[in-house]
Amino acid sequence: MAHTGTAPSAPSGPPGPSGPAGPAPVVEVRAVTVAFGGLLALRDIDLAIARGERLAVLGPNGAGKTTLFNVIAGDVTPAAGSVVIKGVECVHRPSRYRPRLGVARTYQKARALAGLTVRENIYLALAGLRGRHRPLWRTAADRRMGEEAADVAHRVWLAGQLDAAAGELSHGQQRQLELGMAIATRPDVMLLDEPASGLSRGERERLVELLESFDEELTLLLVEHDMDVAFRIARRVVVMADGEQVTAGTPEQVRADPQVHRIYLGTEAPA
Amino acid sequence: MTARDLLTRSNLLGAALVVVLLVLPSLATAYFVNFVMTQTFILGLAAATIVFLAKYGGMISLAQFLLFGVAGFMFGNAAQETGARGLNLGWHPWAAVVFALAVTTAAAFVLGALASRSTGLYFLMLTMVYAVIGYYVFAQIVEISGPGGLTSIQRPDLLGPPVRLYYAGLGLSVLAYVGFRAVGRTAFGLALQGVRDDPVRMASLGFNVPLHRALAFTLAGFAAGAGGLLNVWWNGQIDPASIAIGPTLILLIIAVIGGISSFEGAWLGAFVYVLIFTYLRDLPLIDRVGITEARFNTVIGVIVLVIMMLSPEGLTGIARRLRRRLRPPARTGPAPSTGPPLPVRTTEKELGVTRR
Repeated sequence: MAHTGTAPSAPSGPPGPSGPAGPAPVVEVRAVTVAFGGLLALRDIDLAIARGERLAVLGPNGAGKTTLFNVIAGDVTPAAGSVVIKGVECVHRPSRYRPRLGVARTYQKARALAGLTVRENIYLALAGLRGRHRPLWRTAADRRMGEEAADVAHRVWLAGQLDAAAGELSHGQQRQLELGMAIATRPDVMLLDEPASGLSRGERERLVELLESFDEELTLLLVEHDMDVAFRIARRVVVMADGEQVTAGTPEQVRADPQVHRIYLGTEAPA
Repeated sequence: MTARDLLTRSNLLGAALVVVLLVLPSLATAYFVNFVMTQTFILGLAAATIVFLAKYGGMISLAQFLLFGVAGFMFGNAAQETGARGLNLGWHPWAAVVFALAVTTAAAFVLGALASRSTGLYFLMLTMVYAVIGYYVFAQIVEISGPGGLTSIQRPDLLGPPVRLYYAGLGLSVLAYVGFRAVGRTAFGLALQGVRDDPVRMASLGFNVPLHRALAFTLAGFAAGAGGLLNVWWNGQIDPASIAIGPTLILLIIAVIGGISSFEGAWLGAFVYVLIFTYLRDLPLIDRVGITEARFNTVIGVIVLVIMMLSPEGLTGIARRLRRRLRPPARTGPAPSTGPPLPVRTTEKELGVTRR
């Protein structure tokens, strides 16, 4: 695939109607191709995300949304292409470099650390970012981070579960914890992988409320299966199918796109 | 943590146990103290390093007994003077101690780094390979193991009388027990438990997962080395056969008997093991039912089998269940959940081996 070195200016831009304008994008995916065995999970994907953008990636199961996401987050190394985050080429940097670049992510299946408490989970998100990885004794810094974790837990409605093991939380609470671990590090770029999946209606409302409360500067990339949540949060929507970008535009444009209807007809009725 | 928080029932119980063990030499026979109990401390310390790696890191290591042996061989080589077998470096005993611990810790780091990308069964197999390789290294390089092992190894004068070795074992055991548990609440220990639960997640939080595993293995190796020094002082000798695959498995069995996810279990398992090997022969009529010394391993095997079937959490798991059953139901209800800022969870953890 056309991997044309590093041309910093003039990103090739997604073919959709509203490509990001203005300053250099925060996250830039260029000509990324991922193959799992014989299966092409992503085919020559380009995506540029501007600072403060709220972008949703939509698509049916198997469209490659999560793979794209994992490429940006560093969990999957693409066969070709590049990922530039804040001007840093990241394709061969493992996922552990992402927090330093101000990137936080959640996982589609809640991957809280099951044997640790809510407080400890959030504490580790903070410790991971701040490089407090290996001290063999506790100090005042740990206590402060524990208190900070409690504040974050409060923000994601888990104040009552602070000392509960993450593995014993309900599914919805685990998603809340995922979000808490992401927002604890005060990231500039937040990658949310299907944050609404498996949530009840009430929990969805709360989720949307929380996402809407985020700072304007925060760049939000959302992978969603649920069009409802995606359309409420996102200002730009990219639709994928079979590892390729199908269309992109504002929620209204995408909602009206007959191609999108066709893609979704088999799996889910359009909202 | 305030002084009041420390006054929990289990802490008081532990303190009482330590007091009993402190005065034990004036209560029990010298044989019980210097043979049974000292050996319990030594094996318990080594088994506790298995528990540390299994409980916090989800890594079941079969290399702990090798590291235990490395420390012993290194001490013997460094401390013994000319005329004995081995390298006969003739160093001051405490210099030899530092040397032995340094070599053991370095070896643990290298072995841990090599195994740091394996988990579960693969980690177990890899550490078993370490144990086998280690055995052959010492069996075949006779320059460092002396043909047939190093003998008449003297312990430092400070630990001359056997009862001092008992106290050294007690002290190191208490230190390891308190230390390992405390580490579980530090940044390092919490991150290690995070690595056990979900390494991919921990990487995305910014942690270097393989390095973290390697460092945990190094820490456990250091503690195993300390146990190995006690062992070589207690035995007065060490030979390659004593770190062969048989003893290696026995250490794992000790950890399993006690309960591989509890530190208490390491010493409890060691105590039970030593008791059986010491006193089984004295039971009346035991030889009439065909249990002679050669059958002791069979007895141990049956005990392990029964424990595994009754309680995968080992003897400590059984004890915990009994306590729960005996306690009046009103008290088992809402447990008081005060604790340090980052309290250890109360749930029992399974091994975590099957987790990624």
